[in-house]
Amino acid sequence: MTAALAFDGVSAAYRARDVLVDVSFLIEPGERVAIIGPNGAGKSSLLRAMTGSLRPRAGSVRLGGDPLAHLDRQAIARRLSVVPQAAALPYAARVEEVVGLGRLPHEDPLRGQRPVDRIVVAAAIERVGIGALVGRDVRELSLGERQLVLIALALAQAAPLMALDEPTVHLDLRHQVETMELLVDLNERDGTTIVAVLHDLGLAGHFFPRLILLDQGAIVADGPPDDVLADGRIRQVYGVDPAFVRRSGPLVPA
Amino acid sequence: MSRRPTLSRLGSLAAAAAMILAACSTGASSSFTYGPSLPVPSAAPGGSKAASLAPVSPSPAATFPLTLTDDAHGVVVLPKQPRHIVSLTPATTETLFAIGAGDRLVADGDFDDYPAEVKDLPHVATYSSVDVEKIVGLGADLVIAGGNGFNKPDAISRLKGLGIPVLVVYAPDVAGVLSDIRLIGDAVGNGSQARALTTSMQAGIDSVKAATAGLPQPRTFYEIDATKDIYGPAPDSFLAQEIQYAGGNPITTGDPAIFSIPLEKLVAADPQVIVLGDSAYGMTAAVVAARPGWKTMTAVRSGAIEPIDDLVVSRPGPRLVEGLRLLAMAIHPDLVLPPYGSPGPSASPVASPSGSALP
Amino acid sequence: MATRAEAGLVQPVVAGWLDRARSRPGLLFAGLVVVLSAALVLGVGFGTVSIAPVDTLGILVHRLLGLNLGGHWTAAAETIVFEIRLPRVLSAMVVGVGLSVAGATFQGLLRNPLADPYVLGTASGAALGAAIGILIPIRIALFEFGLVQLFAFIGALLAVGVVYRISRTGALSPLTGLLLTGYAVGSLLAAGLALTMYVSGTNLRQIFFFLLGGFDGSSWLQLAGTAPLILGGSVLIMLRAGPLNGFLLGEETAGNLGVDVRRERVILLGLGSLVTAAAVSVAGLVGFVGLVVPHLVRLVVGPNARRVLPISALLGASLMVGADLLARVLGEIPVGVVTAVIGAPFFLVLLRQTRSAYEL
Repeated sequence: MTAALAFDGVSAAYRARDVLVDVSFLIEPGERVAIIGPNGAGKSSLLRAMTGSLRPRAGSVRLGGDPLAHLDRQAIARRLSVVPQAAALPYAARVEEVVGLGRLPHEDPLRGQRPVDRIVVAAAIERVGIGALVGRDVRELSLGERQLVLIALALAQAAPLMALDEPTVHLDLRHQVETMELLVDLNERDGTTIVAVLHDLGLAGHFFPRLILLDQGAIVADGPPDDVLADGRIRQVYGVDPAFVRRSGPLVPA
Repeated sequence: MSRRPTLSRLGSLAAAAAMILAACSTGASSSFTYGPSLPVPSAAPGGSKAASLAPVSPSPAATFPLTLTDDAHGVVVLPKQPRHIVSLTPATTETLFAIGAGDRLVADGDFDDYPAEVKDLPHVATYSSVDVEKIVGLGADLVIAGGNGFNKPDAISRLKGLGIPVLVVYAPDVAGVLSDIRLIGDAVGNGSQARALTTSMQAGIDSVKAATAGLPQPRTFYEIDATKDIYGPAPDSFLAQEIQYAGGNPITTGDPAIFSIPLEKLVAADPQVIVLGDSAYGMTAAVVAARPGWKTMTAVRSGAIEPIDDLVVSRPGPRLVEGLRLLAMAIHPDLVLPPYGSPGPSASPVASPSGSALP
Repeated sequence: MATRAEAGLVQPVVAGWLDRARSRPGLLFAGLVVVLSAALVLGVGFGTVSIAPVDTLGILVHRLLGLNLGGHWTAAAETIVFEIRLPRVLSAMVVGVGLSVAGATFQGLLRNPLADPYVLGTASGAALGAAIGILIPIRIALFEFGLVQLFAFIGALLAVGVVYRISRTGALSPLTGLLLTGYAVGSLLAAGLALTMYVSGTNLRQIFFFLLGGFDGSSWLQLAGTAPLILGGSVLIMLRAGPLNGFLLGEETAGNLGVDVRRERVILLGLGSLVTAAAVSVAGLVGFVGLVVPHLVRLVVGPNARRVLPISALLGASLMVGADLLARVLGEIPVGVVTAVIGAPFFLVLLRQTRSAYEL
């Protein structure tokens, strides 16, 4: 079986600063993985290396078996959808129009969306549960609603792998939990492979069976939450008492 | 955030330009023909205009078909004597009436105000445009347009493109006014009347020059507008030359391409006479004297601030001599001038057969 | 939506109409085709000289189709209809299309509802180019375009080129860099224009004419020289509606949606600038249309460039033809003034109706 995503010895740098150091991991189709680590650990860089917007200086990234460097933007977009932390929302745009943008990699370049595209968009809206928001201007939505719109957009992209950049960062507790539950549902029911960059160790540990912990651009630990969130590691990587981490999160791993 | 910098800036520039233009056109717009210009090299002061008539038979009885070279170096071919003439400048309109061709004028510009007959003519030129369609609709067989940007160049080339002869006139100086009158006369087949008119005008000009010869030449500033910046004659311009002929020493902007003069420079030049070309717009000696910084000028202290009818002075047409005489009397209040073809130039031997003479 | 209690009688009507236009863009498109056709007919049919509609039709049929319907008209009427009105009306249409499509492109690409075709220095570049062309005492002509129009065209393209090159070197994000560099370069060029105007002497008036804009000089030959550029460029932009849509959510997201951001940015900027430069060389600086038409269309039909571009093209063309007709009939008022006078109130009404949250 081809790995959904494979990093093989990836190193990358912004200007002179190393942001990824010899990063290697495999994500199989159907997995649900959270990337965690302190600020500046390289989580976002890892995401950008996945999408191809950060080019590695060494190593290779393979998406669905093919090296990223051999795929054009459209092929990448058909295999990987990205939910950004905060997307700039267009003015005068309605929810269904924004979700419809997810069909861009599949559209007929001349005729635009066909009936099948509209069906996929409607299904994505339904799946995320934002049918009530149809017709609303996206700029009138709350942050939680906007997050759901962006997830629906990524869903409409119909890519086997979905990456999310801190999907809960602006949300209140209830919306954090609902978003996480949605991701779990998408993963377990639809088989969408999910890679989420998460800040919150509690959420990560509770909802993700596999965590990858980054520190200073390198993978420190990769495995189930009990293993990755071991007290010694938290103290070493975050430099704080693990009790704080547990208390700061809303949910502590059981 | 202001994100449309360019256009709004251009807008303000355009507004500024409009002000300048308005300022410069207090003489009912014809004053825009001041100043020497790059595109008309043959218009050297001193009447070398004759050169531009070279292809034409100098004979007053020009016969059609006729080929002329106009002031913009355009070759104008007239297959027959024009019967439907359109004039796009006030000076040309006056000229056509003064040489007896006024009855063939079918349309003129918005500014044209003299003689009284023009009131009834359709107007086909505004300050910023020319109604090409109407000119074609009137069946014009000759359009006489102002050169040097007086009429929109786009429209001139459009008319030419439609096969309508366009004679472009532009007089940078007094001699140019006279040669333009002859050029217009030739174009409309009234060459002899035009020559009689210019001969009479030349005599009038010479008599003013003679009367002022030997008199002291006071430093004279001709104020075109001073609403914001101070606008006056550029060096070697038509207006500066008129001031010289009228026995004054013109204070100019110092650069042929610049129309405004800084107050400092004007104070330093210390005018002995100030002529108010903007008097028609309500400017008075009292207002001038009250302007901050002006009271040190000799003209202000001695009260030598004279209103004048700018339309007659600055319009490069047949009433030029009248303007020159007004200017001479403004500069030299005690001057006694010999009579000049009273009551007006058209009463000279060439009164038009059509009876459309000047009043 | 139901909370429009304070609204007058018109408001629900207009709001309902807006909803229908959004859900049935095909209907709106068809309606605008009718409006544009009407504008073209009126534009050719009316002017300062009155010509009987029968004669106008006869002239058009005779000249365009070579058929003689047996009408009797004067040579002057034929010249007016076929050599003056028709090329002028078509020029207005083509320029209206170009400025609206370019405006929609820049607004989408720069994600800025206040962008217009002139935002990247095109206007100042064209104006300075034209002013320099006016001051150079040489007369050449290509497609009945003199030095002024050629320099305006070159000036517009050079300005955008300089803005683009400078903006790429900075630390700012590409789009912010473009906007700010456009502002700076535009200001510099405007200063250059002011200086040129100051020393232009008697040529000032000609520069002023260019800044006012208009369709006085329109001829078949000019149209033949510019229409392919403007219409061709507009069509090429419309073929890139998909990538342009990607930019709606920002460049990073556009990339994630499969858009080759760098390539599309250069292509769209280049096409938009080319169309603008060609339009400016025909019509001078006609403002308003390129800003307001695409903005207004976006309010009505939503942000999808596949709708915004063609509908803007139709609306811009109709507005420009109508404005030029009014300008002619009312005695050659600058056409930019007319577009603003017609368009602004309409725009204000729509702004009040729109349910869009306005944060820029």
